[in-house]
Amino acid sequence: MSLAIPNGLDNSVEQPGERAPLVLGDTTYHDITEAVCQVAERKPSAGWVFGFLISFALLQWLGICILYLIYTGVGVWGNQSPVFWGWPIVNFVFWVGIGHAGTLISAILFLFRQEWRTSINRAAEAMTIFAVACAGTFPGIHVGRAWLAFWLAPYPSLNLWMWPQFRSPLLWDVFAVSTYGTVSLLFWYMGMVPDLATFRDRSTNKWRRMAYGLLSLGWSGSSRHWMRYEKAYALLAAFAAPLVLSVHTIVSFDFAVSQVPGWHTTIFPPYFVAGAIFSGFAMVLTLMIPARTMLGLEKLITIRHLDNMCKIILATGSIVGLAYGTEFFIAWYGQVQEEKFAFTNRAFGPYWWAYWTMVTCNVISPQLFWFKKLRTTPWIIVLICIFVNIGMWFERFVIVVTSLSRDYLPSAWSYFTPTWVDVSMLIGSFGLFFTLFLLFCRLMPVINMAETKSTLAKQYHMTQHGDH
Amino acid sequence: MSENNEKKVHGVMAEYTSVDTLLDACRRVRDAGYEKTDAFTPFPVHGIDKALGIKPTILPWIVLGAGLTGTATALVMQVWMNAIDYPYIISGKPFISLPAFMPVAFELTVLFSSFGAFFGMWALNGLPKFSNPVFTDPRFDRVTDDRFFLYIDSKDGQFQRADVEKILGDTDTDYVQTVVDDDSSDKVPKPFFMIWGLVVGLSMVPLLIVLKMRVSHSSQPRFHVFYDMDFSPAKGAQQYSTLFRDGRSMRPDVPGTVARGEMQADLDFMTGIDMDALSMIDQPRAERLVRKFNPLYVADAQAEQEATAEAEPQQAGSGDGDEPGGETTSGDAAADSPATDSDANEKAEAEPSVMDTTPWLGKNPLVLTEEVLENGRKNFGIYCSVCHGMNGYGNGLVNVRAQKILAQTWVPPSSLHQDTLYADKYPDGKLFSTISNGIRKMPGYSGQIKARDRWAIVAYVRALQLSQNASIDQIDEGQRESLLQEQAAVKKTIMEQAEAEAAKAKTKTSESEDDAAPEPEKDSAPAPEKDSA
Repeated sequence: MSLAIPNGLDNSVEQPGERAPLVLGDTTYHDITEAVCQVAERKPSAGWVFGFLISFALLQWLGICILYLIYTGVGVWGNQSPVFWGWPIVNFVFWVGIGHAGTLISAILFLFRQEWRTSINRAAEAMTIFAVACAGTFPGIHVGRAWLAFWLAPYPSLNLWMWPQFRSPLLWDVFAVSTYGTVSLLFWYMGMVPDLATFRDRSTNKWRRMAYGLLSLGWSGSSRHWMRYEKAYALLAAFAAPLVLSVHTIVSFDFAVSQVPGWHTTIFPPYFVAGAIFSGFAMVLTLMIPARTMLGLEKLITIRHLDNMCKIILATGSIVGLAYGTEFFIAWYGQVQEEKFAFTNRAFGPYWWAYWTMVTCNVISPQLFWFKKLRTTPWIIVLICIFVNIGMWFERFVIVVTSLSRDYLPSAWSYFTPTWVDVSMLIGSFGLFFTLFLLFCRLMPVINMAETKSTLAKQYHMTQHGDH
Repeated sequence: MSENNEKKVHGVMAEYTSVDTLLDACRRVRDAGYEKTDAFTPFPVHGIDKALGIKPTILPWIVLGAGLTGTATALVMQVWMNAIDYPYIISGKPFISLPAFMPVAFELTVLFSSFGAFFGMWALNGLPKFSNPVFTDPRFDRVTDDRFFLYIDSKDGQFQRADVEKILGDTDTDYVQTVVDDDSSDKVPKPFFMIWGLVVGLSMVPLLIVLKMRVSHSSQPRFHVFYDMDFSPAKGAQQYSTLFRDGRSMRPDVPGTVARGEMQADLDFMTGIDMDALSMIDQPRAERLVRKFNPLYVADAQAEQEATAEAEPQQAGSGDGDEPGGETTSGDAAADSPATDSDANEKAEAEPSVMDTTPWLGKNPLVLTEEVLENGRKNFGIYCSVCHGMNGYGNGLVNVRAQKILAQTWVPPSSLHQDTLYADKYPDGKLFSTISNGIRKMPGYSGQIKARDRWAIVAYVRALQLSQNASIDQIDEGQRESLLQEQAAVKKTIMEQAEAEAAKAKTKTSESEDDAAPEPEKDSAPAPEKDSA
């Protein structure tokens, strides 16, 4: 990670009457192609191999833990009455939240014509899909009999002779997360097809050409194709934008529709969505900052991109902080005994350490981004983002565990303790995530070349007009 | 170019290095009247649809249709599944609760619309299409990098190769090329088919196995990879368990606790013994009985020691105590047992056993109602009649069978209709104790029949005895006359029937043995009328 910004690469300064360039240096279309393709075409670096081996080992460990779980039963987790949701659901909500930044960058920023998204959207979308894969793992194995998880689907079962219960938020969740995963995958793949065609046309190896040829579906860059493609892309963005908001809203319904004190609040949907974007952007930055340096993409993923993302983290982090405050205010203002107890217990009960870790990481640390110096210093950004991710994991832990462990029935109260399987699975899910992400970096175009080139074309256009 | 002359010409294309030169060329070609044209660019070029005259796409309408289909599918699915085919009652909400169906309706709308946009776009674009004449030119590879191409198709109405080459050559380009057929083979390599066929074939195998199992029958239990929840891995009694340190699967009672339904407060009711009287005569035995029925009872250390030493033999002994040795002799149960029993009684008189000294409850503690008798009749029928017979003469099916096969160790069950078993000699409490703890070969039934039902059986047995041995003196004076007449009438008809039977039998087979059947029938003949008493 570079401490200082290389000369000529600081585009975070606003020049009056002029748009800051999003592609830096004297870059041509071909330079963009070269910069992105060399990532996949050159031999893997030692760092990549090292990272991949570690991630892959962790993934294997996750697989072993899942087999152990299926063979033995859910008792291998720390889930015990009354905390039956425990870490699996904490991890699920954490990973789904991480995914949201990708869709936000690719869909909502696209609809708002925020062109700085072009160089980061591909990796962010990939991150979405891998995060959803991690997220989907947990409820899948948390159902107890994982081999019957397909019972969640509404199909005419000869074993059950019954249908799913569509008035349950847990079933809405199944539909929301699976739709989200599917649409994100379509969106990501569709966006990649022109770039896969670039890979195909550049490949010298016959098999490589054939593989990328199949993946790029015979894309020729025809203008008629581009027109329909852009229309389809805009439509998908228009669907993905409300979809991403609906997914975490429905995840929050899992909690809010129940009657557990500390869960039963109407603030959950916006609060969850803000938290999801917050954690997602933190994850994008955590990944992107080392990647841009290691892959040599500083001219495309510029300081301005980092600066903008930090501002979003600051905004969503403040929303999350406000939500924490509002929860406490309503608990006091509502004067419901159980609610008051639930929130006092959160902050000062047996899980006070989790609560204050969460507040420190989520409310205090993003406030540092008010300082421009910190927003434009990559290693500080990474540090703060890691704190944000820790804080957001603890937020879900606090919500799930403190509320469940202190239910209405005091005789059932207990203190949740995770087992080594819980911990292994959380770490293993990072293995899954990073394995997929590192493979993506090697095999797929990490930056949307076509879109970046069209940004560059506009940049040319503007400079020509400026010359008049 | 000349060597390509023989091949089919698809069109002509020209290469440009910037968006502006391309757009300029597009406008010129459009103005020249060419319609079957296309531009190939590395990124979407804005304004090119106008420059080329490309019409807007119908894709949004496809997506609208797909989205509406999604909404309709979701609503119909949810209403059908949750309100019509399998109505769920959830928190008293209406079966068709639209607000609850909205999230899924929204998700499916988005899903279907996205499928519409994704697949609709590829379909309209005619992709995937892996063979395209423009790909024959190696220079075309740069179309996905930094070059722009304009193409005029030979199908265009005014396509003349020379004209097209000229008009393209006049634009800002230094490369004009004719697009011709690809001369490489368009066949898919054979290994692809083999691999594809193998994969498809193998993937059908599990499906076929499942289908076959669905339609065929087998005497073998169903194959389970994972057991369903109807399979319970619970341990049986006396099985070894790794769960507990002592290795037993059955758990002993927790000291100082009573299991639900096991708390026995009324000891007289449970034992059939007048406990107050017993504690006067035999204090240790009374204490043992208290401890047996009330685990919460804490005796002093001395009593406890005694208990461990004697409790077990005592329980067995109380059952065996009055077992008369002569009872084991076999014979016709109904006929012989009175004699042997009287022998036993003589013996018992000689040396009184604990059974005789025990202060038995003389009276059934249950309030005798028709329900109690009915309950007793039911339980007698279930538990007792298999040996003692429905009428109590000891001629139950088990006994009949044992006699038939001459079972060596069989001890015939007693007839209940003998005066030694009547209430005056055999108090209700003693009968209750016999049912509970057993006698001779008869096992105790306290584990199978609840105390209340055992008392009901006692009541029923008394009624049964009465039905066989009541005297006319026990009937109200006013009813005696009619009853005697009725009895005479019944006797008469029975006699007539018997004579008719005998006559028939003689005419049929002169040498027929005495059948056992008519005799008991004669014996039991008076039963109905006396039952009504």
